[in-house]
Amino acid sequence: MTPLLSAPGKMAAVQDGPMELDTEKETKPEILSDGTSKLSGNAASGTLSSSPLTAGGAPKQEDQQTLIAVLQFLRRNKLSESVEILRREAGLEDQEDSQTLDGSGGGKGDRDGGEANSLLSRVSITSAAAPQSTLTPITVKRANEQLDVSVVLSAYSQQGDPSLYQVYYSGLKNFIESVLDCHRAELSQLFYPLFVHMYLELVYNNHENEAKAFFEKFGGDQECYYQDDLRVLCGLTKKEHLKGNEVLLDFRTSRFVLRISRDSYQLLKRHLQERHNNQIWNIIQEHLYIDIFDGMPRSKSQIDSMSGSFAGEARREVNKVKVFHGLLKEPEIEVPLDDEEDEAENEEGKPKKKKTKKDSMGSKSKKQDPNAPQQNRIPLPELKDSDKLDKIMYMKESTKRIRLGPENLPSICFYSFLNAYQGLTAVDFTDDSSLLAGGFADSTVRIWSVTPKKLRKVKSAGELNLIDKESDDVLERIMDEKTASESKILCGHSGPVYSVSFSPDRNYLLSSSEDGTVRLWSLQTFTCLVGYKGHNYPVWDTHFSPFGYYFVSGGHDRVARLWATDHYQPLRIFAGHLADVTCTRFHPNSNYVATGSTDRTIRLWDVLNGNCVRIFTGHKGPVHSLAFSPNGKFLASGSTDGRVLLWDIGHGLMIGELKGHTDTIYALKFSRDGEILASGSMDNTVRLWDSTKAFDDVETDDFTAATGHIHLPDNSQELLLGTYHSKSTPVTHLHFTRRNLLLAAGGYSSQ
Amino acid sequence: GAHTKMASPKTVPKDAQVMMQILKDMGITEYEPRVINQMLEFTYRYVTTIIEDAKIYSTHAKKSTVDADDIRLAIQCRVDQSFISPPPRDFLLDIARQKNQTPLPLIKPYTGPRLPPDRYCLTAPNYRLKSLQKKVSSSAGRITVPRLSVGAVSSRPSTPTLGTPSVQTVGTKVGTPVSLTGQRFTVQIPSSQAASVKSATPTTPTVQNVLINPSLIGSKNILITTNMVSQNSSGDSTSLKRKHEDEDDYDAL
Repeated sequence: MTPLLSAPGKMAAVQDGPMELDTEKETKPEILSDGTSKLSGNAASGTLSSSPLTAGGAPKQEDQQTLIAVLQFLRRNKLSESVEILRREAGLEDQEDSQTLDGSGGGKGDRDGGEANSLLSRVSITSAAAPQSTLTPITVKRANEQLDVSVVLSAYSQQGDPSLYQVYYSGLKNFIESVLDCHRAELSQLFYPLFVHMYLELVYNNHENEAKAFFEKFGGDQECYYQDDLRVLCGLTKKEHLKGNEVLLDFRTSRFVLRISRDSYQLLKRHLQERHNNQIWNIIQEHLYIDIFDGMPRSKSQIDSMSGSFAGEARREVNKVKVFHGLLKEPEIEVPLDDEEDEAENEEGKPKKKKTKKDSMGSKSKKQDPNAPQQNRIPLPELKDSDKLDKIMYMKESTKRIRLGPENLPSICFYSFLNAYQGLTAVDFTDDSSLLAGGFADSTVRIWSVTPKKLRKVKSAGELNLIDKESDDVLERIMDEKTASESKILCGHSGPVYSVSFSPDRNYLLSSSEDGTVRLWSLQTFTCLVGYKGHNYPVWDTHFSPFGYYFVSGGHDRVARLWATDHYQPLRIFAGHLADVTCTRFHPNSNYVATGSTDRTIRLWDVLNGNCVRIFTGHKGPVHSLAFSPNGKFLASGSTDGRVLLWDIGHGLMIGELKGHTDTIYALKFSRDGEILASGSMDNTVRLWDSTKAFDDVETDDFTAATGHIHLPDNSQELLLGTYHSKSTPVTHLHFTRRNLLLAAGGYSSQ
Repeated sequence: GAHTKMASPKTVPKDAQVMMQILKDMGITEYEPRVINQMLEFTYRYVTTIIEDAKIYSTHAKKSTVDADDIRLAIQCRVDQSFISPPPRDFLLDIARQKNQTPLPLIKPYTGPRLPPDRYCLTAPNYRLKSLQKKVSSSAGRITVPRLSVGAVSSRPSTPTLGTPSVQTVGTKVGTPVSLTGQRFTVQIPSSQAASVKSATPTTPTVQNVLINPSLIGSKNILITTNMVSQNSSGDSTSLKRKHEDEDDYDAL
């Protein structure tokens, strides 16, 4: 239990062990700028509090550690008498001890008492390491999140010898290169997180030169998709740089998840525990979470397809929660064939009426789809008469819908915004494709009528007074003909408008902007009704629920918020992403929200309780577009790396990868029946993909579902049905009309 | 456009070269040339501010020169003002947990547009104008009638009016210069601003009020009375508020 004696070069230091410990503890919570932190084996400052204990051999060292840990535990639980007694008996009479302990104890924030046991056990394990690193039990930060930033960073105060970091890392590298091929790919996943954590430790402890040398030597070895992060890291050379960087702080506090098969893990563990310097083992235990699975080790390509996010992959348990991805039952509305106005709603379970044509959109079976949520799982607004009329229109249009397929591609109608001078930042169409809204960098929102019908607003109050309220066409009369125009401008935001979203009933428009607010505009009066303040940072995306009333917004503050139009505060806060939330979409059944983020992950949230039910990793760049398939089972996502990834929501797996675009994909849309997926990108193209084929090819046997490993066929070329170039206009938005005509929109840029 | 030729490195000043190098190091290859100027401007402004602050701190500490500690302090104090970063993750998780515990509120049956209580909306009129004509605006909605008449119509028949009332959309302050010699005017202050002042003077129900800049008018000629707006209008002002069936306050959330 005490291989301390065999630790090379540290024998001499043992004498001064206790004194050094005191030094460490005293200075730990403060800024370590005075160099007393450099403890590479020298008796640095003997001037500080001298311990009354005689500097002895190894056993005394450990007992001292244990005693101190126990004292801390007692103190925290306010057992002051026991503290006194123990101190007296152990001979720790020196007052300074208690002070240093208090300093260190207080600096660590709150930890529950149960950890003292784990502390003690760690003391015994890590006592094998150099004396400096025996301090890890006291300074280590456990799973409880600390609110104090300095405490958060103090977990990096673990000191190995800085000049040995390179040795440790190369040692690991040599080991991994020497293992069998099948294990090598899996163990190579360790390189990146270890590299980052070791680098950050060096920076935190002010070993700037060593940090730079470390980075230069090993930075180039990392995977290519981490290069962007490494570039950011390269600029961080001082401790002060770390403090303001939220993303890095999050990286440090959230454990990087790695999925390794049991065999590979055993190999690694055996190797690391054989060695005397357990630096790497310490880092693994503190900062990494290794999700062990039983089975075949994964191949490099499998690993590559799933990695790339800030926090590694997702743990398997996270993706096991049951998700109700089915669609809600459509209320049965009789389509009046003879233009009779009699509508009735059949609730599920009642026998259908035979006389009128059935709603072909509703599900045929009367049994509840096991994958669909209950109708009242979340409160939804009831249908108004106007909604019912809308639905009838919808059904009529859908009978005229074109069936798309590989043989029958949609026609594409492109709306180019001229004279936008690269200021077009957001576009949306209404569901019936009658209105088009554009958000601009000059903080205005403009609405155009796509049909020949002009935009009219409601008359002013004085004029409303004059009209005949009893007439049949009162709804026409309230509209002001004098100011009818093809487009209307909505002013109100004080920053570029990054996202616009129409409500399903065409009464409202939402817009989100860099000024941190989301505004609700009325499409009857073309004025602003409400400004929802909550994000205090740019809001990158907003989306109305398919049933109206709810909407979701996501922004720079790394959370997405669920709002209802009649509450001035959000109803749900979806927190969990490590970086900005760039894209938010509702599931067709309105029970779930998908968010894509700059941390390269996509999360699926449950509206009912705000829990994260799915985490999808695999993108190598920020995710900018999301689309749910119309049947609710699948999700497509596009990011800056030019790939479209397809996900099976029920199983929580990646089922497809569509390569072809060369630039960021900002627009993704499924056709009305889900047969075709259209993607639009900054490379000025619209591509059509065969989604029926992509989803049919899914092989989900039990093994893959359990371990989450799918072998992705590289069939992007087969699935690509067509590429359509625009004349130097990047594609900002895509929309399938009810008849399956594809509309695209973008701002014409003349270079 | 963005692809115009960049100035060749030899002809740009050293600072601009540094900026170009920074952009290159961060992997940014395409940018408009104005970006360099913006970065230079920002750098200059920021460094100047910090150094000025540091100078103040060092003189306060009665030091002869500005040293590194002053600079550090200056940076520290400015960082909270300029570079505010979003809240830390654990804080967000905490408030999210609190917020997500409350169940989703039930949706009341349709009672009109579903909007938050009035004071959280932007729908309230932020000005009120009254016209001098007989027509009373019975605002069923929230839109006021922006009509204004210049001239005084009062109940005193002896007071001459100033021409015909003209309808303009003007703010409550009328700055039109008028020749006012020899005329008497009755200026009535709109009651929405002087609601607390009740005057005994009755007015015709439809008299609307105009606030005229007193400096234009000789003091002898003015008789200022404050009158309550008629019943109708005050009835209007309450009807302007959207009625809620229940508590306006959703503060329980």
